[in-house]
Amino acid sequence: MSVYKHEYRAYEGRLTPAWSRIAVLVRYGMAEAWSSRITIGLLTLSMLPIVVYLVLIFLANNPIARAVIMRGSSAILSINATFFLRVLISQCWLALVLTAWIAPRLVSYDLADNALPILLSHPVSRVGYVVGKFIALVSYLSLATWIPCLLLYAYQGYASAAPWMGANLRIAIGVLIGCGLWITLLSILGLALSSWVKWRMMATGIIFAAVFVPAGIGGIIGAILRTKWGLLLNLPVMMTQIWQRLLGVSAFNRIGAGLPNVAMAGALLLLGLVCVFMLNARIRAREVVRG
Amino acid sequence: MSSDRIVFEDVSKFYGEVLGVNRVSLSIPPGVTTLVGPNGSGKTTLMNLMTGLVQPSSGRVSVLGLDPGDAAQFFREVGYCTQFDSFPRGLTGWEFLMDSLLLHGVTELDAYKLAQEAIQRVRLGDAAGRRIAGYSKGMRQKIRLAQAIAHHPRVLVLDEPLNGLDPMARAQSLALFEELSRQGMHLVISSHILDEVDRISDRVVLITGGYLVAEGNIHQVRQEVRDKPMQVLIRCDRPEQLAARMFALNHCVEARLHSDAKGVFLRTTDLDEFYRLLNAVAVEGLVQIESVAPADDDTNAIYQYLIGSDGSAS
Amino acid sequence: MSSKKSVGFLASILEQPWGLWTLQARRLARIEVRRNMLSWKATWIYFLAFIPTCIIFIHLLVDRHTTTALTEDTNVLAGIMQFYYIRLGVFFGCLGIFSRLIRGEMVERSLHFYLLAPVRREVLLLAKFIAGSISAIALFAAAVLADFVLMYVGFGPAGQEYIFHGPGLGQLEAYLGIMVLACLGYGAVFLLLSMMFKNPMPAAMLVMGWEAINPVMPSLLQKISVASYLRHLMPITIPGDGIFALLTVQTEPVSAGVAVLGLLLLVGVVLAYSCVRIRRLEIRYTTE
Repeated sequence: MSVYKHEYRAYEGRLTPAWSRIAVLVRYGMAEAWSSRITIGLLTLSMLPIVVYLVLIFLANNPIARAVIMRGSSAILSINATFFLRVLISQCWLALVLTAWIAPRLVSYDLADNALPILLSHPVSRVGYVVGKFIALVSYLSLATWIPCLLLYAYQGYASAAPWMGANLRIAIGVLIGCGLWITLLSILGLALSSWVKWRMMATGIIFAAVFVPAGIGGIIGAILRTKWGLLLNLPVMMTQIWQRLLGVSAFNRIGAGLPNVAMAGALLLLGLVCVFMLNARIRAREVVRG
Repeated sequence: MSSDRIVFEDVSKFYGEVLGVNRVSLSIPPGVTTLVGPNGSGKTTLMNLMTGLVQPSSGRVSVLGLDPGDAAQFFREVGYCTQFDSFPRGLTGWEFLMDSLLLHGVTELDAYKLAQEAIQRVRLGDAAGRRIAGYSKGMRQKIRLAQAIAHHPRVLVLDEPLNGLDPMARAQSLALFEELSRQGMHLVISSHILDEVDRISDRVVLITGGYLVAEGNIHQVRQEVRDKPMQVLIRCDRPEQLAARMFALNHCVEARLHSDAKGVFLRTTDLDEFYRLLNAVAVEGLVQIESVAPADDDTNAIYQYLIGSDGSAS
Repeated sequence: MSSKKSVGFLASILEQPWGLWTLQARRLARIEVRRNMLSWKATWIYFLAFIPTCIIFIHLLVDRHTTTALTEDTNVLAGIMQFYYIRLGVFFGCLGIFSRLIRGEMVERSLHFYLLAPVRREVLLLAKFIAGSISAIALFAAAVLADFVLMYVGFGPAGQEYIFHGPGLGQLEAYLGIMVLACLGYGAVFLLLSMMFKNPMPAAMLVMGWEAINPVMPSLLQKISVASYLRHLMPITIPGDGIFALLTVQTEPVSAGVAVLGLLLLVGVVLAYSCVRIRRLEIRYTTE
C-alpha cells in the first residue's frame, strides 16, 4: 500500500487582477527593447531633429536672432502648421526605423526560441500577449513622435510673444492624431510581420519592404493603368496627405491630393485588419512542423 | 608520432572576455577517449577547436598531423557529430546524407552505397526517406551520427551522442562505438551518461571551468587521486572477520559490510599494501574469497572526486 | 629570379585541385538553388519579381493599345526598371536571398554542416554566391523578359516593328544586362554585410539610403554605388522627381564598358574581402 502524505499545497495567496498581467508583458517588452545599445542610439538619433527644431523655434522667437540672422524678416522662418508638418514627417519616418528595429525583438525572439507555448501556458491570453507587446512598442514610439512634437508646440507657445497656443490648437490636435494613427499602424504592422518571420534580421528588412515595395507597386499600377488609385498602396504618400489635412496644410505636397478621405481610411483599415488576421494566425501556443 | 594522434599544444580559447578553455595540452591516441566535465566546462569548445569550427586564441591543434584550416584534407579524416539540434531546411534524412557525401567528392553511386551503409549502421530504417523536420529527437541524433560516420573517417568526434536516445538505441550506439574503436578509429566522446560510456572508454579527459583537471587511463587517473582512499568490494564467506583483520591496518580507513552480509567494502589509502595483506589472508584460509573488485574505479567516481557535484574542481 | 618565382607561383596555382573544387562548387550551388527557388518560403521573391508582370498583363487585357501609347509605355517600362526593379525589387530580393546564404544558416544553426565538409571555405562562399546569383538572375531576368513581351505584344505589328526593327531588342538586352549586374552587385554587397553583422538589415537600409542619395554625391563617391553604374547603362533615363531631381549632380557620361567593368571590379573586391572574412568565421550560434 502506498502512503500519501498530502504535504504539497498549491498556491492559495492573493492574485493580481487579470488585466494587470499584461503590464508584465509590457515591462518585459520594454526591457527587451531597451536592452540593445542600438535602440538607445536610434532614440538618441531621433532626438537630433528635435534639437534642431528647438533651436529654430528659439531663433524665430528671439528678437536679437531675428534681427541678426534673419534681418528682421519673419518670412524666412515662421513657426506655423507647415513647420510642425515637417517636424511630424521627420519624426514619423524615424519611427519607422525604430519599429523595424524593435518590433522583431519583441516577437521574433519568442517565436525563434519557441517561447510562445511557455508564455501562453500562463494565464495570459493571445490577445493579452499581443496587447502587451503593442503597448510596449507604442510607448517606445511615443517617445520619438508625439511627445517631442507636443513639447515643441508647448515651447513655441511659451516662447511666442503673442498668444499662440490657443490660436493654433489645431496643430496640437493634428500632431496628436497624426502621430497616434501612424504609430498604431506601425506597431500593428511591425508585430504582424515579425510574427510571420522567425528571423529577426529578415523581419527588420520585411518591415521596410512592406512600406516601400507596395509604394513601388502602386506607382506601377498608376503609371500603367493610368489611375490614381495605385496611390492607395503608397503608405508614404497617403500618410503625408493625412498629416497635411489634419494640420490644414494642403498645399505642402500635391501628390495624392485627389485621394478622398474615405478611400484612404478604408485602405488603412484594411491594412490593419490584414495585420490582425496575420497575428491571429501566428500567435498561437503551438507550432506546426511539417515532416 | 603526432600523425596518429590528436594533439593540443598549449591551446587557449577566449570568447571575448569569457574563457572557453585555458592552456590545454593533450595528446590523444587511437581508441575511445571520453571528455568529462560539468555543463559549460569547455568540452564542446575542445571539440569545436579540434574540428576547426572555432580557432584557438593561442596554441595549436592538429589531428593526425592535419591542420583544421586545410578543410579538404582534414574533413576526409574527421567526422563530427555536433550537439546542435538543427539541420539544413527542407531536407529528408537521405538527401541530407547524400548532399554531405557528394561534397566529399565521391561519385553518386558510391555516395548512394555509403549513405545506405550509414543508415543501416545507425538503424534509422525507412525514416531516412522522411523530412528531418518531422524527426523525433532520437532520430535526429541518429541521422547526425550517420552523417558523421558515412564517409568512413579515421577520427570521430561525438558531442553528447547518446542524448535523446532510448535505452535500446543507446546500447546499439555504444556497440557501434566499440566496434569502430576496435577497428582502430579515434573516438572522442563527451557524454553525461557516464555509466554507459565508461564501459567502452579507454581513457578519460576531465575538464572543468576551461581547465584540464586530469587525463589518462581511468585506472591510472584513479590511482593518482591519492587523497581519496580507494574503495574495494570483496565478496567472501566471513566478511566480518576480514573487515576486522583489514581494519587493524593503518591505511585501511573504512570498512562497511555489504547489505547481503556476503561482502565488505573497504577503503584504503595504500592499494599495494592492501592487496599484499589480502593475499596473505587468502593464503591463511581464514576467509574464502569469492571476488575482489574496485568499487570506485570508474569515471563516475573520478568525476565526483575531482570535480565534485557542484562542478568545481577540488 | 623573379621570373622563376612567377613560374613557380603559376605552377602551384595549376597544381590546385581545380576539378574537385569545381565539382564541389557545382554540388553546393545545386543544393542552394534548390532551396532558394523550390521552397514555399521563396514565394515572396517570386512576388517581388513578377508583380509588375501581373500588372502589365492586366494592362494588356483591359487597355487599348494605340500607337501613340507606345512611346508612353516604353517610358513606363524604363521607369519600372529604374525605380521599381533596381531600387526595390532586386534590392529587397537580393537582400533576402544573399543575406540568407551565410547568416541565415547561422540563424538556423546549420552552417556547421558545410564547414565540416571537406570543402575550402572560399569555395563554399563562392559557390553560395553563384547559387544566389543564379536564383536572383533567373527570377528577375525572367520577370523582365515577361514584362517586355507583355508590354509590346498588345501593340501588334507596331510593337513587332519596334522590337525587331527599332530600338526594342537593344533595350531588352540592356535591361537584361542591368538585371544581371544588379543581382551580382547587390548580391556581393549583401553577402558581405551578412557576414559582418549579426543583423545586416540596418546596414542594408543604410545602403538603400546611400543608393537613394547617391546621385547628389560628388562624382568620386558615386563610384561606390551599384545603382550609379547601372544608371549609366539605362537605355532610357527617366529623371527622378521631387527634391532629388533638383539636387542631382550631372557627372560626365561613362561608357557602358567602363560601367560594367567598374561594377564587376566592385563585385570582385567585395567577394575577395568576403573570402578573407569566411576564413576567420567561427561557429558561435549562442550569440545569434
